[in-house]
Amino acid sequence: MADAGELKIVFTGPMGAGKTTAIAAISDIAPIRTDVANNDHVAFDKEATTVALDYGQLALDDGLVMRLYGTPGQERFAFMRKILCAGAIGVVLLIDGSRADALTSLDAYVDEIRAFDPMPAMVVGIGRCPSADAPALVQSSAHLERLGLTLPVFSVDVRRREDVMLLIETLVCVIEAGAHTEENA
Amino acid sequence: MSAPPRFAQRLVEVSAQQLAKFGSETPGIALAVLSSGDGFEIASHRADKAVSAKIAAMGSSLQALSEAITREAGLKDARRLIIESDNGCVLAMGIGGTNPSLSLVVVADKSASLGHLLWSAKICCTSISRAIAG
Repeated sequence: MADAGELKIVFTGPMGAGKTTAIAAISDIAPIRTDVANNDHVAFDKEATTVALDYGQLALDDGLVMRLYGTPGQERFAFMRKILCAGAIGVVLLIDGSRADALTSLDAYVDEIRAFDPMPAMVVGIGRCPSADAPALVQSSAHLERLGLTLPVFSVDVRRREDVMLLIETLVCVIEAGAHTEENA
Repeated sequence: MSAPPRFAQRLVEVSAQQLAKFGSETPGIALAVLSSGDGFEIASHRADKAVSAKIAAMGSSLQALSEAITREAGLKDARRLIIESDNGCVLAMGIGGTNPSLSLVVVADKSASLGHLLWSAKICCTSISRAIAG
């Protein structure tokens, strides 16, 4: 098969949104992880948290290889997100839709991603939504529109490979549409 | 109601004492920070809060990356990471066998002797580990 190239994709979002799980769900290799015991059970009650990066790889049917990087979610690790997002062509933003601060997190991460130059293509996955018309999902789309952003927003269960693949395939479409637009500009 | 302290008072006190001893007995140390594995500062020496919080987070990332790359390379446990620059060096090392897991990050200027720094840092880590176990 001809070498179709590589894309750097970053999974980001707040602590507990499912970035590590999402990469594990689709990676062709055992992901490289840097998770350690979590001491901040007030922010999010889970056993382990990523402090540097996750890394996985995914080969698509056309030979395109995606290098998948996961970021830490806490504010104190913002420096890692800046490092990891350098050179990324696409970002999967994951938000926990069950949290009261879901829209605040969405705002903060969208602002962070928009600040990268050039701004990478982006899709948004809202996790832990009980239904397709769940408030977090509906409000997120509307909120992004108010910010002047038309982004694909999906309800996802990051444990399901098909859900994460939908995000990836959509992101590839957004990247290709962007490249096509630039070519014709 | 305030949240309970993240770390035991004894751990914080022992760590502060050992860092102060390490800093006073080792030439060239600009600052030292002891952090939890997930990047929270536990104690620091010669660093203001804004700096030590950043160093704590970065130190835990460096430690985790060191462990990840040694694991991927099929090597045994990572002992320490040394970053050398024109003006000094940064040392990051984990303290094994503690709960919570701990990392020490030291920034030293170019007056520091690397050998002395590594030796002193190792003693500091061992002292902290023994003190909180005892």
